[in-house]
Amino acid sequence: MANTKEYIRNRADSKIGKIVVDRDLCIGAASCIAVSGTTYELDGDNKAIVSGADSADDATLIMSAESCPTKAILLFDKDGKQVFPK
Amino acid sequence: MDFKYLIIGGGAAGVSAAETIRQNDPAGSIAIVSDEPYLLYSRVMLSKPYFFLGKVPFDQIWLKKEEWYKEKNITFLGGKTVGSLDAVAKKVSLTDGEFISYNKLLIATGVATRKSTVPGADKKGVHYLRSLDDGKGIMGDIKTAKSAVTVGGGFIGFEMADLMQLSGLKTTVVLREPYFWDPILDEESGTMIEKAMNKAGVDIIHANEIVEILGGDRVEGVVLKDGKKLDCEVVIFGIGTVGHTDWVKSAGVEVNRGIVADEFMKTGTEDIWTAGDIAEYKDLLLNERVIMGNWVSAHEQGRIAGLGMSGQRQAFRFVSFYTTQGFGITVAFVGDVAPAKDRSVIKRGSMELGSYGRLLVVGNELIGATLLNRTQEMGTLSKLIEKNVDVSAHMTELDDPAFDLKKLLA
Repeated sequence: MANTKEYIRNRADSKIGKIVVDRDLCIGAASCIAVSGTTYELDGDNKAIVSGADSADDATLIMSAESCPTKAILLFDKDGKQVFPK
Repeated sequence: MDFKYLIIGGGAAGVSAAETIRQNDPAGSIAIVSDEPYLLYSRVMLSKPYFFLGKVPFDQIWLKKEEWYKEKNITFLGGKTVGSLDAVAKKVSLTDGEFISYNKLLIATGVATRKSTVPGADKKGVHYLRSLDDGKGIMGDIKTAKSAVTVGGGFIGFEMADLMQLSGLKTTVVLREPYFWDPILDEESGTMIEKAMNKAGVDIIHANEIVEILGGDRVEGVVLKDGKKLDCEVVIFGIGTVGHTDWVKSAGVEVNRGIVADEFMKTGTEDIWTAGDIAEYKDLLLNERVIMGNWVSAHEQGRIAGLGMSGQRQAFRFVSFYTTQGFGITVAFVGDVAPAKDRSVIKRGSMELGSYGRLLVVGNELIGATLLNRTQEMGTLSKLIEKNVDVSAHMTELDDPAFDLKKLLA
């Protein structure tokens, strides 16, 4: 994965330790923002960026990644194992 | 066959509904009927360059695997079309002769592409874009084609022109309108887009249309209304959509431009819901009945319908948005962007500045926006619209492209 951005998550009640956005896959459909507007924003290149990595609970975060029509959002647990997409 | 929950349509809305139902009802039987043979795939990816040009593996298009349907115990009935609905006996008939009884029904069929009726429109090389098979057809044809004509000045026209040009085809766009995206965008926005398209080598012909498609078995060219002929091997129409709702109407379900629903995505007929591109629902934020045909809305509406079907009523309260990009320009529509007389427009930026937004205001509130190269403002704008923020005291600030819109959320 050449063009990815990683965001570390530090929520105590969370199993997810890292959110990764694949900027080559992201098309700015913004479904992630629809699910969790406090976690994501679009930047000037029409790509999703994470502005609030700790703002949403795990269920919402997983739902936001699942809603992405290009599977551009990857979630990793605190041991670095990918939990989405499976 | 007999299912507790029957979903007609296997796209974003239908699958999102099925997933939501399963969360609320672990045991109730669920079936999805789709006229396509495929499990859920990314319809929006069909028109995106990196997919189309093979920069990511084709398999990236699949959003749900067979195991997912199995794990969630959702029966997928692919390649099947509904013939009729009996809303009293609560069953649908399929065109292959089978009957399916339901307890709760969701109609999320989406819409079909509007087809051209000009002579020659049935030739090979004439394309529309809705389904995966449509996408495959275009991908196959552009391998040998040298030039393409795309018809229509909306999202499909824009994205297809971008793809054709990126694929190395000489590309000409034919528009009925005087400029791109008329009447949703103003002329300045349309011109900004067209300049970028021209710069990339795309020709645009305005106020014209194809009257005949030339060739033998395959397309060799088109004739325009003014008599001009263009050589091409591929023609792609992006001229709107039509809902195939006769079977719904015949069953007594209210149909207007789409299938009519309230803010819960529930139709006026007992135990029938609708969602996605085919749904014309009561929008609580805009206080009018609208159709919002895009991925994000379909996904959200499917969830709301799924909640209602499984006994957890929740209203759909959502500012819709859609974005695209091509030719170095990003385009975003937020909320209600339909042109109407009661709306005033605040301009942010300009073509000369390279970024240009239009904020649509009714009374003291924002209701929508169109953004060229300003997508970073989309999230904030959708929140301002959702929260009904009174912007009347900030009109001059809104006019300033450097003003940070987030300040209005505080």
